[in-house]
Amino acid sequence: VEEWVHEELVRQAQRGDAEAFDSLARMTGDRCLAIAVRILRETDPAQDAVQAALITAWTQLRALRDPSRFEPWLHRILTNECYAEARRRKRWSEGLRILPVADAYGPDDYLTVDDRDLLERAFRRLTVQQRAVLVFHHYLGLSISEVAARTGLPVGTAKSRLHHATRALRASIEADARATPPSQERLA
Amino acid sequence: MTASRDPDRLIHHFLLEGEEQLQDQVFDAIRADIEQKRQRVYFGPWRTPIMNKFIAFGLGAAAVAAVLLLGSRFLGSATRIGGPGVEPTPTAEASVAEPSSPADGSLPEGSHILSDDGVPITVTISAPGWYGERAGGVLAKNNNGNAPDGAGIIVFAAKADAYVYGDPCQWSTTTPDTPATTVDQLVAALAAQASRDASAPVDITVGGYAGKSITLHVPDDAVFSDCDQTEFRTLIMGPDGARYHQDPGQIDKLWVLDVDGDLVVIDAGYYADTPRNVLDEIEAIVESATLNVN
Repeated sequence: VEEWVHEELVRQAQRGDAEAFDSLARMTGDRCLAIAVRILRETDPAQDAVQAALITAWTQLRALRDPSRFEPWLHRILTNECYAEARRRKRWSEGLRILPVADAYGPDDYLTVDDRDLLERAFRRLTVQQRAVLVFHHYLGLSISEVAARTGLPVGTAKSRLHHATRALRASIEADARATPPSQERLA
Repeated sequence: MTASRDPDRLIHHFLLEGEEQLQDQVFDAIRADIEQKRQRVYFGPWRTPIMNKFIAFGLGAAAVAAVLLLGSRFLGSATRIGGPGVEPTPTAEASVAEPSSPADGSLPEGSHILSDDGVPITVTISAPGWYGERAGGVLAKNNNGNAPDGAGIIVFAAKADAYVYGDPCQWSTTTPDTPATTVDQLVAALAAQASRDASAPVDITVGGYAGKSITLHVPDDAVFSDCDQTEFRTLIMGPDGARYHQDPGQIDKLWVLDVDGDLVVIDAGYYADTPRNVLDEIEAIVESATLNVN
């Protein structure tokens, strides 16, 4: 029933019904934010990316051929907005030291504080494109072909990017772990 | 130590942490913004990118490059109606006077260049509410090609080989090995296409060139999502790509012409509920076509 409602809202929105699109935005916005925060590693630019993505989705909605594919289609727009947001922010945010988002939201018992800081630093060293494939694969649990669809990559490229991102992340963690005594690795 | 543990599991747990709720004020801002923004109008897409298989047919490297260039320009303009487009390079046909567009983005009444690659085609639009881009190859009435009452026209005029799928739903496995090279071959293949309830071909003349017209139907109970790549396709012609359909119940009248040895297809898509006056406008547009052979 939920899928049917979802598709019907897309069809209504494609006919210009702003109320229907508002409902769609509220059904999908939280997940979009979760993705964007994890790709961009900061809340404010993530909110900006989600807002831009949903507005773009509204203006381009009539190009969506299959209403059941609304969310994957939206995520692809969101990915591009994240890339654009990362480019915009890069100029002035480079060199800033930012508290990891994990400190404020739902710590996981599996991770220690040291783990979290190592991963945060390692994650930030990845390109935003590498982060995107990791988020879609590890956070949303999507298959490689679905990751490819959401990032606009050929399946082989998505697979390769995921492999390299994981390898780079691991190498970065290992390098940090070797270089930094655990008690001194807090970001400030 | 972190590095000694399963990295996939670490990444997974790390990504589970983080904000997951968009603030209400962002939703409110989005709502306020979309109330002010018009949705871009799309018609189709009626065409899809050319398959590598077709590029391979007898084309050398230089020709392939030319086809790709042409294809990318065609697709860019054909799939997005009413949006900003790249200014085309002036050609001999660009001298056709095209008055400024109405404020709603529709085409002004008057002469309109429908195609400037392959066989250039110019038509006269004599009614309001037609949308399209210069040389985009597609016209749409009220920017709507969808059921139950949309209508539009697409032209295939790229001097390319034409392949008619044996089955428009299972098209990927029913593509013929050889192209149709004459009007009769192309129309016969269309008439034989599975599930199309084709009309009997009729002799016609458009712009002084002889050919045949035929009307095809997409079954009302067609399920596009069951088709190859969820597309219900009629044919594929060179860099223009494939004609694939918008909705079940779509009716297509095709004018197939022999323009000095090159096949040109003008395809008008509509529905049972498309108003009669729109069908008359389509006929008038096609009848007005002039085909300029280079």
